Amino acid sequence: MFSFYCRPREIKILEPPPDRHQPYNFVGKKGMVVAAHHLAAKAGLEMLKRGGNAIDAAVTTAFALNASEPFASGIAGGGFMVIYLASEKRITVVDFREKAPSGIPKEIFNDEGKIEPNGLAVAVPGALAGWIYSLKKYGTKNLADVTQEAIKIAENGFAVSQTFSRINKDQYEKIITNAGEGTCYLNEGFPYEPGDLFRNPELARTLKLIVSKGIDEFYKGELAQKIVKAVNEKGGVMSLKDLALYEPVEHPALKGNYKDYTLFSIPPPSSGGVHIIQILNIIENWPVKKWGPNSPAYIHHFCEALRFVFADRSRYLGDPDFIKIPVEELISKKHAKQIVSQIKPDSPLDFYPYFRFEEKESDSGNTSHICIIDEKGNIVSLTHSINHFFGSGIVPENTGFLLNNIMYDFSSDLNSPNALRPYSRPLSSMSPLIMFKKEKPYLILGSPGGTRIFSSLAQIIINIIDFDMSLDEAIEAPRFFTYSAQGKPRSISLESRFSEKTIETLKKMGHNVRIREAFDKYFGGAQGVLILKDKKVILGGADSRRDGHGEGY
Amino acid sequence: MKKITLAALFLFIFLIVVIFAQERKESASPLFEQPLLITSAGQNAEILMASVLAKRAGLDSKLSKFASPKDLENMKTIVLVLGASSKGLGAAGLDLAKEKERVNLVVEEAQKKNIPLLCLHLGGEARRGPLSDELISAFLPFAKMAIVVKSGNKEGFITKICEKHNIAFVEVEKTADVLTPLKEAFK
Repeated sequence: MFSFYCRPREIKILEPPPDRHQPYNFVGKKGMVVAAHHLAAKAGLEMLKRGGNAIDAAVTTAFALNASEPFASGIAGGGFMVIYLASEKRITVVDFREKAPSGIPKEIFNDEGKIEPNGLAVAVPGALAGWIYSLKKYGTKNLADVTQEAIKIAENGFAVSQTFSRINKDQYEKIITNAGEGTCYLNEGFPYEPGDLFRNPELARTLKLIVSKGIDEFYKGELAQKIVKAVNEKGGVMSLKDLALYEPVEHPALKGNYKDYTLFSIPPPSSGGVHIIQILNIIENWPVKKWGPNSPAYIHHFCEALRFVFADRSRYLGDPDFIKIPVEELISKKHAKQIVSQIKPDSPLDFYPYFRFEEKESDSGNTSHICIIDEKGNIVSLTHSINHFFGSGIVPENTGFLLNNIMYDFSSDLNSPNALRPYSRPLSSMSPLIMFKKEKPYLILGSPGGTRIFSSLAQIIINIIDFDMSLDEAIEAPRFFTYSAQGKPRSISLESRFSEKTIETLKKMGHNVRIREAFDKYFGGAQGVLILKDKKVILGGADSRRDGHGEGY
Repeated sequence: MKKITLAALFLFIFLIVVIFAQERKESASPLFEQPLLITSAGQNAEILMASVLAKRAGLDSKLSKFASPKDLENMKTIVLVLGASSKGLGAAGLDLAKEKERVNLVVEEAQKKNIPLLCLHLGGEARRGPLSDELISAFLPFAKMAIVVKSGNKEGFITKICEKHNIAFVEVEKTADVLTPLKEAFK
């Protein structure tokens, strides 16, 4: 009888529902890996089970994503990693954002906002250097250990998902133009259909080469020569010196707070950390819980906040190595109150203060995010990208990896703080974050989705904290987005799941609306981990807008 | 009674032979001539796939994303790749109404010049939905033949239109399989 009561409570783990959009939380007790592909999440979990820490698992997952979700991230991309070291109670940021080649011309955009020739869109990759920097400094395993699963995935292949197939079809022109009919990123010259087997033996060989010769092979060796050749054959200006000089940087995390929670994210050259703190600072002033999650009042106020945030983005944000950014002022509660005082409760403003802002807004929902917590409580929140889906579409000869087209993240406006400068880093919107509740890790979160990233993440945080949603409910809930350009409000994009009544009320307020798909990857594909210490349980939430998956143990 | 049964049997065999011969004739005799103009209805990415297929089939083709009636000069067939892409329409600065207007002008001109229309639907399930279906309903009825990747016709939407308008219809498993019927369709 007593033994019955003394038995530890079993965690009831349900099978994932057949409808992938139905909210479902992955459950773990010791650790959790959430990533945009099930094979990558499994690879990360295996590393944790083999005794690796969160950093080992993050790098393993990142390599595995290069093999399993190659259209969104990879060794020739870049990104940011927020790391929490439990034993030191310390948070740090590793920045491996790509850099413009030193010989890049001042003007690379044509009148239509396109970079031509395409080789000029490729920036000096930072991902491989950043992953290995983190592994050497904070991990416990070696390069061979963390690439093992990725090599297996690349060699054995996997069945292509609906998401992969659809993106492959959308990007067909770019792939066939740049990588040719014979590339592994096409199936006999045509896009992959769902269920087709995708293999990438060339990537497997490249990874084996990096393991045997070290990452200098990529930045200074034969692979470097192949990268430079491929870029320059497509009209780019990358040099071997550009690659050899690349180094990731480490800096302190950006700190903000929302109600009783403390948030750590990344400082510029990403705008994401600054803006997510700004949005939450503004939202804190309104009774959003009373308004409700899908209410017109909440959507209206949030959108007005976003339009002010975009005005700040265009005025102040860029690469801090080249310009002075008033980060502290931007994330202050005082600045938030100034914005709040200008917002009308029932109609959009005609004008949002701005400096200059380019019209350019990418429709792409690219990039990829990884959340990891290990048994000791170490955490990694990692967002990385090759920019647009399938990056530049350029694959260096026989290497199997795609080169980024991150140069598109620079402004075409030469007077913008985000103007192109040799060896500078373009402004990003990535916002990997870790949130603490009473000094204990509570939420790990991040998402792809271009300029929608910080808006989507703020909505997820509010869904959890204010609207009491479970983690995956918060991730799957309908999303919206807007911005301002040239000081003028732009349409509100809404997923089609919002009610007619809500849409009509927003229109009556004076907003233009644009209805998108019910679960539209335009709004990103968030991954999250919720740490419920009191319940001794870790929950993983993975976005069904992409192929997100969690693995706990 | 026996005579009637025998007559009925002969008649049945005769009909089978005639129908079979007709089918063979339809599938064996090419419906279209070269050169062909390839354009899309919906600014989809599949237009490029159609171009690669035509190249592999050894066909003399010209691709034009924004084809207008004047592009029909010297053409003997139009290949219309059906399916709306919001991204493609956005990039081209078109909405559905403008795209329909453009395609309509091309199809009308083709009708005047007796240039036959071959419709392709290569985008599968992803290239269905209200926008795509509107374009399919608008232009497929003018086609002489349709070649369709199966996943885009799960509920038989395209089959029904083809049956109603007596359009030769070929369904294939995947894009690469379009090559054989495409080759056979041309002189």
